[in-house]
Amino acid sequence: MYEKDGEKYYIVDSHLHFWDASPANWVKGHEEFAKGWIECFHAYQGLGPAETHWSLEHFQKYSVEDFEKDVFTDGYVDKAIFQSTYLREWYTNGFNDIEQNASLLDRFPGKLQVNGRFDPRDGAAGLEQLEADHAKYGIKGLKLYTAEWNKGSRGWKLTDPEARPFFDKCVELGIKNIHVHKGPTIWPLDKDAFDVSDVDHVATDYNGELNFIVEHVGLPRIEDFCFMATQEPNVYAGLSVVVGGLMHARPKFFAKVMGELLFWVGEDKMLFGSDYAIWEPKWQIEGLVDWEMPDDEAFSDFPRLGVEGKKKILGLNAAKLYDIEVPAEFQVPGAADKEDAQLVEGAA
Amino acid sequence: MLRARVLEALGTVYDPELDEPITTLGFVGSVVVVGGAVAVRLRLPTPQCAPNFAFLMAADASRALWRMDGVESVEVTLEDHYTGAEINATVNAGGSFSDAFPGETRGELDALRALFQRKALLARQSGLLSEVPRRLGDLHGPEADRCRELRRALGIDASDDAAPFVTGDGVPVDATDVRFRRMASMTALSLETNGGMCRDLLRVRYGGEVAA
Repeated sequence: MYEKDGEKYYIVDSHLHFWDASPANWVKGHEEFAKGWIECFHAYQGLGPAETHWSLEHFQKYSVEDFEKDVFTDGYVDKAIFQSTYLREWYTNGFNDIEQNASLLDRFPGKLQVNGRFDPRDGAAGLEQLEADHAKYGIKGLKLYTAEWNKGSRGWKLTDPEARPFFDKCVELGIKNIHVHKGPTIWPLDKDAFDVSDVDHVATDYNGELNFIVEHVGLPRIEDFCFMATQEPNVYAGLSVVVGGLMHARPKFFAKVMGELLFWVGEDKMLFGSDYAIWEPKWQIEGLVDWEMPDDEAFSDFPRLGVEGKKKILGLNAAKLYDIEVPAEFQVPGAADKEDAQLVEGAA
Repeated sequence: MLRARVLEALGTVYDPELDEPITTLGFVGSVVVVGGAVAVRLRLPTPQCAPNFAFLMAADASRALWRMDGVESVEVTLEDHYTGAEINATVNAGGSFSDAFPGETRGELDALRALFQRKALLARQSGLLSEVPRRLGDLHGPEADRCRELRRALGIDASDDAAPFVTGDGVPVDATDVRFRRMASMTALSLETNGGMCRDLLRVRYGGEVAA
């Protein structure tokens, strides 16, 4: 919970991690990829305020106590949604697989939601694993990382025919929130790996059944994302990286990107995510609550973001998607009356 | 041969995704010239920058250097990249993208390049929308010049009498068209934001030293 100027904000951090990228977890022969990946993430942390930077060693592997302090004690987060990222080609025990994330569930009862994943290239075994993860952890969402390597393949698309049984299984199980993260590679390599048109297709096919939250709003293809999201009622903007990577480092761009998102996507479909441990939630939440659209002419076309909108983005929107009960004191007046008809309701 | 000429040649090489020269982006890490032998090291903001764009920049750099008078050998090295070994070996042997990644690609990178040239053309025009030109020849300055280059590269009429504004596909469009204006400014924002993030990451990765 965060309170400022008499307003109370219920915080759902819809995108964070508990990873192990220490050298002991690097796959033999793939050390340079494991090292390069975490150093790349570490460079992203450099885009936040200097006083929030960590040493690379600390960044590679942080403790449960660090997590508790950064996210819950100092970070205001009421409910945290873990996004599992496997990367087993590079990290022996996975970068942060569902079991590693779930090891924290007992420690913080009621405060964590664990999301799973699937990889269509795993075929029948992958479908079984998805069912098992759902049975074990009651997952309500997934994170899909399309650039992941798998047995010689350097990525996949949501429109691959092999992915369809997995989406159907999600519908069947009531796993309705699909977080999509684009990365630099997919097959074939001569195509633009960041292209979000595959999200467009599956969002249309599964409208009314699945929600698609595009992480870091499709950056670096924000124009394609906005144009797609404005036409797809079940596509949401995940603000991970937008707040962490731009608000401090590039405030003018941050304002314009927020302006475009507010115009095309709207404050009802934007979800805060800190992307911890890339960036700590504390400064991002404080900064977003304090943030105002600049007054100058260059920003005059953009909608403004008020207290209500900030409450939605920081928690209420994600709470709706994940059926999280939010106490009345945090609610926005009248929100219950204008329940979004496009929202996918609970499992059938 | 002068390093300055080498840098000038490299200044004609654009990051295809950002539509900016690799020299102003700081992607040129070092230039060594010994007689007619030129060795250039390129560096990118992250080790995971997309292999297709990385390949285009390395290959374009190699071609730009070979075009210079007096060049006897060219070596382009993409540093610290997860597909650097494949890209360097292929580019320096004069090979194509599919040579670098056999079985991992359906074709070459021309379609990808054109796709981003169309985005760049749309974005560049957003900086010219305050003007009321009757024809392309009425537009002047670096943004207009770049629009002409992009139009020529895409096979879109770039003569003085051509329509001043076109969609990315080359269809003439009215400057007051709200949708066109909105898409152009958003695409420009996207390119600028990505460019800003690339610069920031490059600075964090390699420190503040000025390239070349």
